[in-house]
Amino acid sequence: MIFKWLDERLELRKFKEKFLSKTFPTHPTFLLGETALFSFVALVITGIFLGFLYEPSTRMVSLFGALVPAAYASVVRIDLLPMGLIIRRIHHWSAMIMIAAILAHLMRIYFTSAYRKPREINWLVGLSLWGMAMVAAFTGYLLPYSQFSVTATSIAYYMAKSVPWIGDWISRLLFAGEFPSDGTVPRFFFMHVMLIPAALIGLISLHMLILIKQKHTEPGFNRDRREAQGGRRLIGIPIWPEQGVISLSFFLLLLFVIVLMATYIPLNPIETYGPPSPGTPLMRPDWYFLVIYGFLKLVPGDLIFTVLGGKITPETIGGVIFPASNFIAYALIPFLDRSKDPQHYMSNPLRRPFMTSLGVGAIVFLCMMVVAGYIDVLHITPKDMIIYALVATAVVWSISYVLLRSYNRKRGDSAKA
Amino acid sequence: MVDGISDKEIANKGITRRSFTLGMILASFAVAFGSLLAMLRVLAPEKKGGGYVTSIQPGDALVYARGGNAGASIVASSMKAGDAVLAYPLGKSSNPANLVQLIKLDESAIKPPTDISLTDKGFVAYSAICTHLGCTVSWVANVETPDASFTECYCHNSVFNPAEGAKVMGGPAPIPLSQVGVKVSQDGTLAFTSDFNGPIGPQV
Repeated sequence: MIFKWLDERLELRKFKEKFLSKTFPTHPTFLLGETALFSFVALVITGIFLGFLYEPSTRMVSLFGALVPAAYASVVRIDLLPMGLIIRRIHHWSAMIMIAAILAHLMRIYFTSAYRKPREINWLVGLSLWGMAMVAAFTGYLLPYSQFSVTATSIAYYMAKSVPWIGDWISRLLFAGEFPSDGTVPRFFFMHVMLIPAALIGLISLHMLILIKQKHTEPGFNRDRREAQGGRRLIGIPIWPEQGVISLSFFLLLLFVIVLMATYIPLNPIETYGPPSPGTPLMRPDWYFLVIYGFLKLVPGDLIFTVLGGKITPETIGGVIFPASNFIAYALIPFLDRSKDPQHYMSNPLRRPFMTSLGVGAIVFLCMMVVAGYIDVLHITPKDMIIYALVATAVVWSISYVLLRSYNRKRGDSAKA
Repeated sequence: MVDGISDKEIANKGITRRSFTLGMILASFAVAFGSLLAMLRVLAPEKKGGGYVTSIQPGDALVYARGGNAGASIVASSMKAGDAVLAYPLGKSSNPANLVQLIKLDESAIKPPTDISLTDKGFVAYSAICTHLGCTVSWVANVETPDASFTECYCHNSVFNPAEGAKVMGGPAPIPLSQVGVKVSQDGTLAFTSDFNGPIGPQV
């Protein structure tokens, strides 16, 4: 009845025929992007709840007799509400899972060469989404205004300040003056709940629109099936109801996992860190910042020089040049890949010895940077760690390349790339 | 033909009334929104004074920066060689640049480039703000050999040797921590004798 009423006005039937019946190719790895999307939905929902209760201010208020910043007090009060702590943990865990899913999705695209023509634009949009998600996570660090928050933000402030030429201005723009100042929390709050989510929603929409226009890269085995059918049509299932039901069930499963983790695995215990105080305890960032964190530890302190009037310090190298060069390298991948033919099928990674071994080598290097974040507990000196990281990367890269090459030689020219 | 100009002429010139108008509209948009960029200046507040500005005066008493006795004067006899505490000048704890690490060393262990004139009876004090990325440094005490104790920043594991002018022993910190003069007063408490002898925090 309602459907009929709406259909007469909005032509829903036409929409269903045109859009919801579109073919959706299936492959388990296509759920990685959906994981990121659904984690974002969980973030928005829990974020709205937290936004109603949070106070973005550093004015001092009384909490159980102690004077603490209002932001910190409001988060402690959220934790004390029925379900409050769980909601905050779901928010935090969703962020961790969202970035993990984005990275896994990115690796899937890389190893199956799905970034190739015509999908270069969506590769760049996806990279921006990753960067934006990291910025969203980072701005969220400060909001509880605990000792952990202030330490992490202070480190990032000096990293921003170490940008050559414009660092001083950039840091004052982003942090609303010199950190710590009373302007930083309101500015980060605005960016965290308004500016960055708006940018994320815009980028996600663009990502999906381009996907609908260009369609997925199909699994390789579809090639034979399609030839057997003699048709040019995409092989897969309709968006509604088949794919829709899979996605909705998957969303529920993901929510289950997130809530389970939020219930049993504590994280960011701000009551343990306490409000800002002198003294920096031993603390490490969330997992997705460990690569930069580890790299920062390895840069030798005496590496200071000047380029065209811009001062390059260990902070610049670890905090600016390293992350930026990573992003630039990833952005260039589709444009440096030599294959220029439009790609309709996922490549078999085993058939691409050079790119696959390069990717494996890069992953090993980044993992070694995570290990470098723990040199203090492993009792490794930074110099030794640099050697271990380079050796491990070189060994894994070259061995995987040699193995893949010999594998392909054995298979001979029956390979279809 | 448009207004007496032949299509060929239009093609040659490559500019029509329509494209000219469109160009002007776009240029107006560029000027309108481009001028908004000037507002970026307003969004970045002016400097307060260029990083950390300390306000230590000779004669200021050293008080504990944290713990149960935060704000209480530090008594010299309460520290033995190999001990260290975080301290503020009395009444000036609101300025984080003033935070110092007060260390008691074996007097004979203190070597150049430490400024000996800024030390007294084995007491030596340095800025507690790491020169790498601004975290507060910690004291890693070695109970068996107090002289092997050192200052470490737990953020990225920069290590400083307090017996040798807080010079960088390892890690990413580019420069030593600045030293500040301290002495033991008549009443057994500690007091500052000078401001820092160098810059505070990251020099980026």
